[in-house]
Amino acid sequence: MSTDTVTGTLVRSESTTIERFGMALTALAALTVALAILGLFVVIPVSTTVAGIAVSTLLGTGLLAVGLGVVAAGIGSWVGPLETDPSRHGSPTDGVLVGCVWLATVGLVAAHTLGTALWPLLAIVGGGLAAAGATFFREDVGVPVVGGGFVAFAGAVLATGTVGPGWQFAPSGFSVTLTGTVGAPLIAFGGGLLGAWTAARVAGGFGARGRQNGAYALIGTNAVGMLSLLLALVGFIVSKGIGPATQGIRYGIYWQPQLWFEVPILDEYVIIHGPELWFHWPFVMNGYTQLSEAINGVLPAIVGTVWLVIGTVVFAVPLGIGAAVFLTEYAEQGRFTSLIEIATNGLWSTPSIVFGLFGLAFLVPRLGNTPSLLAGQLVLAFMLLPVVVITTREALLAVPDEYRDASAALGVTKWETIKSVVLPAAMPGIITGVILGVGRIAGETAPILLVLGSQPFPRTAPDIFSLTGGFPFVELNLVQPASALPYQLYAVISGGVGDDTAFAWGTAFVLLLVVLSFYAIGIASRAYFRRKLNQ
Amino acid sequence: MTVKARVATFDPETTAIAGVVGGLGALTVLAFVTGVVNPSYVAGLFALAALVGVVTRQGPTMKVLLGLAALSTVLVLGLIMVYLFVKAWPVVERMGLDLLIKTDEPLWNTNADVYALTPMIWGTIVTTTIAVAVAGPLGIAGAVFISEMAPSWAREIIKPAVEVLAGIPSIVYGFLGFMVLNKFMMYELGVPQNGTLLIAGLVIGVMALPTVVSVAEDALAAVPEEMKSGSLALGSTDWQTTTDVTIPAALSGISAAVLLGVGRAVGETMAAVIILANVTEFPIPGFDVFDSTVSLTSLIASQYGNASGMHLSALFTAGVVLFVTVMLLSVGSQLIERHMEQKLGGNQ
Repeated sequence: MSTDTVTGTLVRSESTTIERFGMALTALAALTVALAILGLFVVIPVSTTVAGIAVSTLLGTGLLAVGLGVVAAGIGSWVGPLETDPSRHGSPTDGVLVGCVWLATVGLVAAHTLGTALWPLLAIVGGGLAAAGATFFREDVGVPVVGGGFVAFAGAVLATGTVGPGWQFAPSGFSVTLTGTVGAPLIAFGGGLLGAWTAARVAGGFGARGRQNGAYALIGTNAVGMLSLLLALVGFIVSKGIGPATQGIRYGIYWQPQLWFEVPILDEYVIIHGPELWFHWPFVMNGYTQLSEAINGVLPAIVGTVWLVIGTVVFAVPLGIGAAVFLTEYAEQGRFTSLIEIATNGLWSTPSIVFGLFGLAFLVPRLGNTPSLLAGQLVLAFMLLPVVVITTREALLAVPDEYRDASAALGVTKWETIKSVVLPAAMPGIITGVILGVGRIAGETAPILLVLGSQPFPRTAPDIFSLTGGFPFVELNLVQPASALPYQLYAVISGGVGDDTAFAWGTAFVLLLVVLSFYAIGIASRAYFRRKLNQ
Repeated sequence: MTVKARVATFDPETTAIAGVVGGLGALTVLAFVTGVVNPSYVAGLFALAALVGVVTRQGPTMKVLLGLAALSTVLVLGLIMVYLFVKAWPVVERMGLDLLIKTDEPLWNTNADVYALTPMIWGTIVTTTIAVAVAGPLGIAGAVFISEMAPSWAREIIKPAVEVLAGIPSIVYGFLGFMVLNKFMMYELGVPQNGTLLIAGLVIGVMALPTVVSVAEDALAAVPEEMKSGSLALGSTDWQTTTDVTIPAALSGISAAVLLGVGRAVGETMAAVIILANVTEFPIPGFDVFDSTVSLTSLIASQYGNASGMHLSALFTAGVVLFVTVMLLSVGSQLIERHMEQKLGGNQ
């Protein structure tokens, strides 16, 4: 039996009309969403004119086109010419979604434009009708007409200028006045998202494939949104802070005396000169002075942060690794391990300000009755402890049992096995976890707010090392107030930023730089070790 | 095993070392807590005993020391609970249940020593609701993207991006909200004061988002591949598999993720204290999210500076409420995760 006449093509390789039409509509809706976001953040305000037409009118026209296109596609699919595969009814989620949208719309229109007191009732009736229409009719009639209809309505509202520059709405009970500059982009954003959803369903030819297309369009938009949010946040701070933070950097090569010694016979000094590089970065190397010409810097805060991180790591990492090793290697699964797991998770989710309160109540009175670096180090160590325990536990569990069995087969005791086989194998994971934990700790403000307080704008860095007369010759003065980068930023904000906004942005930039470099190192090292171990 | 049988399995050498070293460790902690004896002396004895043990009988001594390290987590949590409650007791004794349910003026008067946490609790509820409304759906959608939809190159980009989003310090978020968003609300939308509960809620939602994404993604990745393959083999689309098989199977993990996000939102301090005006009143009317009042965390951070006596004790009561709430949420999410592990067979 010949097979070419029986089977048709199982996979379509070219796009059909409706696919191309739907994708065009989705692209137009996506463009509208992007332009609406730019308008909302007043990057391109909706009142700017392009060839005499306001941006809000352009947004409205785009939405109108999308909405009418979706309705046309729905009708075309129902009447016949377009190839689709719709379901007999819409799904309940479709109904809920468009029902809520129409409920809000009818309610707002009734309350604002018509001014009637019956707006809740009208809203519910409108929402109910929309939900019914989307759910009970054929999928290619209900959803496009109701959903696309909303998009077209929103587009018409914007295109005719009903909501545009000059519009105002002050809902009663809320202390806000919605203007057209914000209202128009918001409407365009909502309409654009709904338009993208319905247009993606059109492009998928309705049915199960269409629903998948629609859901994927929204979820993909969400992911892109999260990524752009991160880039926008970091980029904004960098752009605003890099100027003040790098102000006044000077460097040069100078000819300096490098080596000198006395020639005893001639009783003369011989001086050998050589080149020396001099580098001054005022923002990082100065303290905060009141002089008007000097550039204020955050050196004391940086020194404070460095000492906090060192102390936190020294206190928390051995304790945390020890606890995790005991939990994983020695203890059996039972009430004891459950207790420790509950305690660790409890510590991990405790709010940071509660740690600060604990430090204030417990540590400060016992460590010299003054805010001190040591108290800050201990409080941050308590915050880092659960992170170290959890990541070390995961790293130890990831070490294959074969390693331990092989070592036991050679007659090595349990502790020796842990020391020389298991821990080194788990070290990459532990190091990565510690770096990421330290990154989080370096940015914490709330705990050190209560236990570290020094004067808010210190001029000099704290003096940690001091010489003592006898043994051990060097003393560590940790029981003194100090500043830290997050604390410095908070002091700038709460002291009134005023005309020193440049200093505030510079501090924020330096803080972000420090924390994000920890995170970058941690993520890079995890990727490196994962590739090396082929996990 | 009964206690007697378990005790019979103890190795006498380890028990002796545990007694000496553990006892000295406990004495050090006790000395530090009570301040009866200078803790450095007892700490020195403890270090000496531990050193002797490590040099002579390393195996058992290390087991004892590691056990002490494991107990330290329980110890720290216990100390936190004890000291919070002890410091909060004076105001609890004075105000009684009014602390949590008083709604008539005066609500927070340091001169008359009247302290009621109701405006703060309301502020926390409002900001947390807005935050979860943002972080919940968007976080679950992000987790579905990472674990179900994304091609591997997209996954390599967006997973570190979400981690970095979690890494931005909370004070930087608060700073951005203060400098950019508050001014936007005042100038574009005519809000009469600097700061709104809505903006605080939105910023806290963005901060809780990565928590929800990572925990929900772990839950979705733990669903066995066989379930998804079986659904696909029956002819369903990827999206149908996700909504009808994967998400219902991972539902407990996803709820745990949302609960953890709620806990993170409740405990967020710096963003709230910078963005809000910290006025210890109810918003008028109650549902006005464009008013700028106070939350439990921002209360503590804004008033700690000049607080003493009863006032300081009232701040500790706010800390107790926060601690108990977050602890309940954390225990709840752990129970749900344990239920999920039993249902799916968990990770081996």
